[in-house]
Amino acid sequence: MSEASPTKTPNASLSFDFTPVDPPKADDALQNPHAKATTFVPKVVAALEERFGDDIVEVTLYANEHTVRVARDRIVEIGRFLKEELGFTYFVDLSAVDRFTDDERFEVFYNLVNMDAGQRLRLTLRTEEEHPHVPSVTGLWRAANWQERECYDMFGILFDGHPDLRRMYMPEDFEYHPLRKEFPLLGIPGSLPLPPQTPEGEITGDPFPAAHGSKPVKSFQESDSDLKKA
Amino acid sequence: MSILSQIDIEKQLRFWPRHNEALYKRLESKHSWLEDRHASPDGLGTDPLDNEMVLNIGPQHPATHGVLRCAVKLDGETIDKCVLDLGYLHRGIEKVAENKTFQEFMPYTDRMDYLAPYANNVGWCLAVEKLAGIEVPERAQWLRMMMSELARISSHLLWMGVGLMDAGAVSVFLWTFELREDIYNVFDHTAGARLTVSHSRIGGVASDFTDEAFAMIGAFLDKFDEAVVGWEKLLNRNRIWIDRNQGIGFLSKDEVIDLGMTGPNLRGSGVTYDLRRFEPYLMYEEVDFNIPIRTEGDALARYFVRLDEMKESSKIIRQCLDRLPSIKGPVRADNAKKAYPSKDEVYYSMEGLIHDFLYTDTGVCPPKGVWSYHAVEAPKGELGFYLQSDGTGIPTRVRINTPSFTNLQGLEYLMEGAMMGDMVILIGTVDPVMGEADK
Repeated sequence: MSEASPTKTPNASLSFDFTPVDPPKADDALQNPHAKATTFVPKVVAALEERFGDDIVEVTLYANEHTVRVARDRIVEIGRFLKEELGFTYFVDLSAVDRFTDDERFEVFYNLVNMDAGQRLRLTLRTEEEHPHVPSVTGLWRAANWQERECYDMFGILFDGHPDLRRMYMPEDFEYHPLRKEFPLLGIPGSLPLPPQTPEGEITGDPFPAAHGSKPVKSFQESDSDLKKA
Repeated sequence: MSILSQIDIEKQLRFWPRHNEALYKRLESKHSWLEDRHASPDGLGTDPLDNEMVLNIGPQHPATHGVLRCAVKLDGETIDKCVLDLGYLHRGIEKVAENKTFQEFMPYTDRMDYLAPYANNVGWCLAVEKLAGIEVPERAQWLRMMMSELARISSHLLWMGVGLMDAGAVSVFLWTFELREDIYNVFDHTAGARLTVSHSRIGGVASDFTDEAFAMIGAFLDKFDEAVVGWEKLLNRNRIWIDRNQGIGFLSKDEVIDLGMTGPNLRGSGVTYDLRRFEPYLMYEEVDFNIPIRTEGDALARYFVRLDEMKESSKIIRQCLDRLPSIKGPVRADNAKKAYPSKDEVYYSMEGLIHDFLYTDTGVCPPKGVWSYHAVEAPKGELGFYLQSDGTGIPTRVRINTPSFTNLQGLEYLMEGAMMGDMVILIGTVDPVMGEADK
């Protein structure tokens, strides 16, 4: 209470959409009861920093997990170094985060595992909204193939050098990228042709017609009852 | 002749013509496995029948274990090329998760791998607990571990019954389903639901188990251990079963790692990777169990891995039953900002009611701008949740790394060069669940 500025009226601090926001504490990594030993990899981070210097943009640690942000254009070289010299042969996961900011909107992350040494590392890189091109790592890990396709489908990030960059889940006729933050939760009416609700019906393009004001079509229309006729 | 020239796109492909066009183009342009063999000097030579055919299997096909579409190019009876088409069960579950609070999303995880819903619940709750740094009482961890292992048995039982039915033996399907029924009864008794259990909560589990529930689990284990002996007698030296599986769907150790496969598919090829050992979670460090490994890398090896895994799960559950009576205490974290208060507090105190309401409305709020990844060893393999928080009760990003999806990528490779008659066995041996693969 003592920190509140005297110029503020009491009502100004009242907000009905308030949700508490805790900044991360310094000792989170030590305090976390679910922290794993495998994700704490200072030696790998040091090796990367020694080899690539300025291309390692940022190293963060939360819940005992190391995250290494790297320069976008060096990802293939860094991946090759990790795979061939540090033993990260097992590719677990790849996806992106829509940060919804003006500069460097998308953040792609890679989840790599070194089975023999028991290490798990997260690499990230950022790319801008207009031309979201990221070099593909399918040449290093074949497992990245479908993951990159899914990432392209959901975020529209283009992986240069990918052998088969088709959509993973949505059909090719679909024009949007659904996991981007501006894509509405209820979908876009008309974006996908869907089967008719009756055998004679027309192809609809709205995944949630009831949400957009149209009534459901019955497969069998009941005749008016005698009561109604009278 | 090109595949596309044989298809009248306007007439035959009523839905999503561009999608199908791209799919067939991919099938056409894919590297042909058979052409290499034909070209080699000691190869097969040209096919005397010259019988090429493009076949669509699925999405509506009982042997595809859901809605998996395989477009295959056949050369005689050999599968030359294969392209899998996913997304027929895509519900955008990650998008849904990004619009719900952490606790609200938990029931949706039941719908991913619907053969082992409890393991998904636990995976999600552990991921949120890691992100928010919530400690779970010991008794809840034991209960969760016991039920996750029960879910593993349930999932493998279905795999086994369906796998054998694919191979032509119907009776095993009925036997395994009888045992799954018992597991469902346990879930019904403890969680109140048979299929979509939704019993795990952030910070613990919904309710403690009664003595009757423990007795039911014990009775199930006795029945199960007896049944497994019978199945081993029937199958382990069964001529038909071995002939159908041995040498089929071979993957070497390097190949499985390169393809990123997980779970029993990985361990059937001699890779010692199991998250219960790699990154121990819950109480797996406290119990004594083995990780079954096979080095043959074929469908038969995966059968043995799954069979042995069920037996190991039974061993873990027995240890849980032994230990649980001595572990007293709450089953949910006693912190109303981090977990739901107990119903006693909600019904008889004002603060309890307020906290219950607040927790439903806002829920747990992890620190601002942090992210974490937590994975569990689900029956199908590594099930990981990557979460990112902006400090509110709703996550900004939820990434679900599902084992079936990564395993299916290997299936595409596995099918090429196999015989058409083995296709159903191959799909069964990878054990995909489309609810999980399509998210």
